[in-house]
Amino acid sequence: MPTHIFGIRHHGPGSARHTLQALQELQPDIILIEGPPEGEILLEWAAHADMRPPVAMLAYEEESPQNAVFYPFSVYSPEWQAILYGQQRGIPIRFMDMPLVHQLALDKTTDAPAPPTVNPIGFLAEIAGFSDAEAWWEVHFEDAIHPVAVFDTIKNTMAALREHYPEINAYDLIREAFMRRSIRQAAKEMYDTIAVVCGAWHAPSLEDTQTTEENDHELLKKLPKTKVAITWIPWTNDRMMQESGYGAGIVSPGWYAHHWQHPDDDGTLWLTKTAHVFRAAQTDTSSAHIIEGVRLANALAQLRDVPRPGLSELTEATRSVMCMGDDAPLTLLKEHLIVGNEMGQVPDGTPRSPLQKDFEDQLRALRLKIAENAQLLQLDLRNENDLKKSLFLHRLSLLGVDWGKTSATRGRGTFKEEWQLYWQPQLMILLVEKANWGNTIEAASNNYVRHLAEQSQDLGQVILLLHKALLAELPQGSAILLKKMDILSAGTSDIRALLGAFPALAELHKYGNVRKTDQTLIGTILHSIFYRTLASLPTGCCGINEEEAAVMADQIQKVHAAIRLLDAEQMATDWAATLRIVLNAQQTAPFLQGICCKLLYDGQSITPDETAQFFSRALSPGNAPLDAAQWLEGFLSNAAMVLLLDNNIWRIVDQWMMDLEEDVFVQLLPLMRRTFSEYTTAEKRKIAAKVNNNVPGTNNNSEISAGLHHERAQRVLPVLELLLLPSQPV
Amino acid sequence: MTNDTLKLSAEEQFAHELEELKKQDKGERPTNWQLSPKAVVQYLMGGTLPNGFRVTPKYIGNQRLMEIAVATLTTDRALLLYGLPGTAKSWVSEHLSAAISGDSGYIVQGTAGTGEEAVRYGWNYALLLSKGPVPEAIVETPVMRAMKEGRIARIEELTRISSDVQDTLITILSEKIMPIPEINQQVKAVRGFNIIATANNRDKGVNDLSSALKRRFNTVILPVPDSMEEEVEIVRQRVQSYSASVKLPFDHELLKEIDRVVTVFRELRNGVSSDGKTKLKSPSGTLSTAEAISVMNNGISLAYHFGDGTVKAEDLAGSLIGAIVKDPVQDKIVLQEYMETVLKPQDGWKDLYRACRDII
Repeated sequence: MPTHIFGIRHHGPGSARHTLQALQELQPDIILIEGPPEGEILLEWAAHADMRPPVAMLAYEEESPQNAVFYPFSVYSPEWQAILYGQQRGIPIRFMDMPLVHQLALDKTTDAPAPPTVNPIGFLAEIAGFSDAEAWWEVHFEDAIHPVAVFDTIKNTMAALREHYPEINAYDLIREAFMRRSIRQAAKEMYDTIAVVCGAWHAPSLEDTQTTEENDHELLKKLPKTKVAITWIPWTNDRMMQESGYGAGIVSPGWYAHHWQHPDDDGTLWLTKTAHVFRAAQTDTSSAHIIEGVRLANALAQLRDVPRPGLSELTEATRSVMCMGDDAPLTLLKEHLIVGNEMGQVPDGTPRSPLQKDFEDQLRALRLKIAENAQLLQLDLRNENDLKKSLFLHRLSLLGVDWGKTSATRGRGTFKEEWQLYWQPQLMILLVEKANWGNTIEAASNNYVRHLAEQSQDLGQVILLLHKALLAELPQGSAILLKKMDILSAGTSDIRALLGAFPALAELHKYGNVRKTDQTLIGTILHSIFYRTLASLPTGCCGINEEEAAVMADQIQKVHAAIRLLDAEQMATDWAATLRIVLNAQQTAPFLQGICCKLLYDGQSITPDETAQFFSRALSPGNAPLDAAQWLEGFLSNAAMVLLLDNNIWRIVDQWMMDLEEDVFVQLLPLMRRTFSEYTTAEKRKIAAKVNNNVPGTNNNSEISAGLHHERAQRVLPVLELLLLPSQPV
Repeated sequence: MTNDTLKLSAEEQFAHELEELKKQDKGERPTNWQLSPKAVVQYLMGGTLPNGFRVTPKYIGNQRLMEIAVATLTTDRALLLYGLPGTAKSWVSEHLSAAISGDSGYIVQGTAGTGEEAVRYGWNYALLLSKGPVPEAIVETPVMRAMKEGRIARIEELTRISSDVQDTLITILSEKIMPIPEINQQVKAVRGFNIIATANNRDKGVNDLSSALKRRFNTVILPVPDSMEEEVEIVRQRVQSYSASVKLPFDHELLKEIDRVVTVFRELRNGVSSDGKTKLKSPSGTLSTAEAISVMNNGISLAYHFGDGTVKAEDLAGSLIGAIVKDPVQDKIVLQEYMETVLKPQDGWKDLYRACRDII
């Protein structure tokens, strides 16, 4: 009754190859695999035609799906190959690890032993000076003639390693006791040749003759229990990188897959793929580049005493030969090739995912119903249940499941919210697709927002997301978005994006979200965005055309309002100082100068005398009349009161207007009409009255009136009043 | 050995090490190489030989980069060392050629005025006039000699050479021949010949390599020092020798200032504050370690000649800003952002913030 133990590296193509060879050679009657026994019911799906790795076994506690564990499999996972081998030959397969009913219960208790963190093969590779465990494995075990012998060597190596690290954690001890029990069980059932596939680290302990059945039994008594559900879910390559379940986060799934498919590639195929990725991104890469890359990679491999170029040699060759030594293009490679964007697929009919379950649970709890036709939902957010409904709908919408649409965006000042609900069957598919983001709607939307944040390169988009995330109350997601905002705002030279970001953030800072948003974080980012804005505002206002200036002016005014809202003295002072720089800069668009001048004047940052000075400078005869008119528009639009109350300015405007040549006047007329037409009727009336009264109390008055015959003029006035101001009392 | 030479070449200075390495070298040597590739890497990175002989490290940094460089020279591609000024490009190129060919003297200095005759061959005009175009009348360049003898030729500042002259290298690198049409002959390169070029990747007004030429080079970018400690150490050594020359005490205070300057440089260069919390824009200048050294030396000069002998923030601010703001518009924005978001909130850095504020 020989038992063969294959100590493997989870997700190691080399291990997978050896496992397969060893299985073919030994022809076992039963295969025991490190994995949760509950998963055995899922094995029937493994060989299904629609099953396409990467996939993961997802196990979760029925009562709280958040407590979950994933067992990812890729095509190059030794476990997967062993399962397929067994399925094809009809050999029984058993999972022999600690049952999940205990494992998840243990995870939940606070004093649970910590899951193992050692990556033993990685550790050995490190000792040997390899950066990649797979490369080490390749070098040491690839060329072994006898695959069974390889596993003996590994077992011995691990035994030696375990002697050096005697403090094996309690969690591992329990798991190994379970594995030993399964092996004994199989032996009792008279299976002849038993193949055991387990993580290399456990290999020596499974043959441990000193531990008796009784010892193990003692260890396995009184373990806590809970109810567990298990299912297959599609997995992605970038999630293969996470450490979960099998504990082996791998950094280069794409490379491993390549290596599994083409074990003898000397780099030619890989570099050809590389070249294709670069070409797809419009980077010229010739066949000669590939040839030279292969040569360099092989020369490097030779220099480093490895049988064939590994990922590090190939990457270094790519950088040197194809990227001019630059690291930046390699990120492209990482995304498309080294990690790869493969997504797995599971057949229809596999059990439901916890996200779906959570969705349905919440529907029940919130008394929401899926209906074929559209329905209207009115929510009062002061009511807790309604608030929950609102959060639920907002979260769904963030996940891309657009079941409901808000008829009016919810402001902070209102607690009414109106939703149009319209269910379509494809929404469920969208939801299932998001299963890999988390087990509850909340967790999934948090993770998904984080993912979107990481993808996004557009500040405006991030702000929009942030707004949504806050409505959906996703504190973690929001924190990531804020961070991203910080990064993007540092990278951007687009002043308008910065200006646009500030008011939203300021509002958030001032009114906050009473719940969980980290106010200090917002404060810091608000602060840095503010000073970034200040630094680039003066240059940003230069050399822009009229339309751009109008957009910018709008934003500047919003920022101004936001600063007043924040009530931060230092910021207000610094803002005023910057506005003054913009106002004084020669190249600033005149419209913006006018706006800045008005904002400063409104905030009493400049005295009326100074304002008059700016006015006369802007309207001095040396300036192009069009610029002057734009300046005037900037200052005077919506500012009739200034004209009415400040006689100095009145006089300057008046003087300028009088001095205009006729044809210039005609040319400027539409612009000025635009400026003044926005005034209310009452304001216009008062201005007319002021014209009428001839600006009393200014020294200008005497000048203008010098040439007039007062008495005669007086006589005309009643008639004029009658004409212009019918309701004005005399 | 008494020698008045100001600077010895690498192969003279480290003759003993090369000799020792050659004796111990068991690896296979490519034709006309003095050492095996592995031994060359060892010569550069330093280490202890089996017989206990210690090889001093010539390059302090990532060994993998040196491996790529050496591996490149074993293939038929040429090597281009790329990087900021002061990242030991020429130093590495000299030592590579000393270790591989045993002679680092086959060197062409690239300038805007470097002509074809400096890269390919020139003519001895007296002979040319008297005898006409004969082989004796040819003045060989280092590149031509390296081709004939199978050695490594070095070209410094490749991108400074005008494009048409650069492109004469294409035939040499791809066909491994140098045609001499005047006498209808050609020089064929002997095995072991290769070229190591250095170039600066931040310079403006240089001639970028044509893509045809680029393809003949493998590029290795030599990075600025990796860790804060490494860089502070480099600056410290150089500043110490300078402060000794002006008899300024090299004390804890000065060390603190070095720390600050290096921190500012690193933060701006890396585009992120050292606590990793704030993302920053990087200025257009290089902000190399060499510049950090000159900022410190400048500050010491100011303190020594005009101040009270201790280096203060005011002494540093001027040259610090000078080093950062190379482009008066863009870099100024970068600096202002940096000052407001990083310098200002930093505890105990108020003096530096104010000093900068006063100038900018």
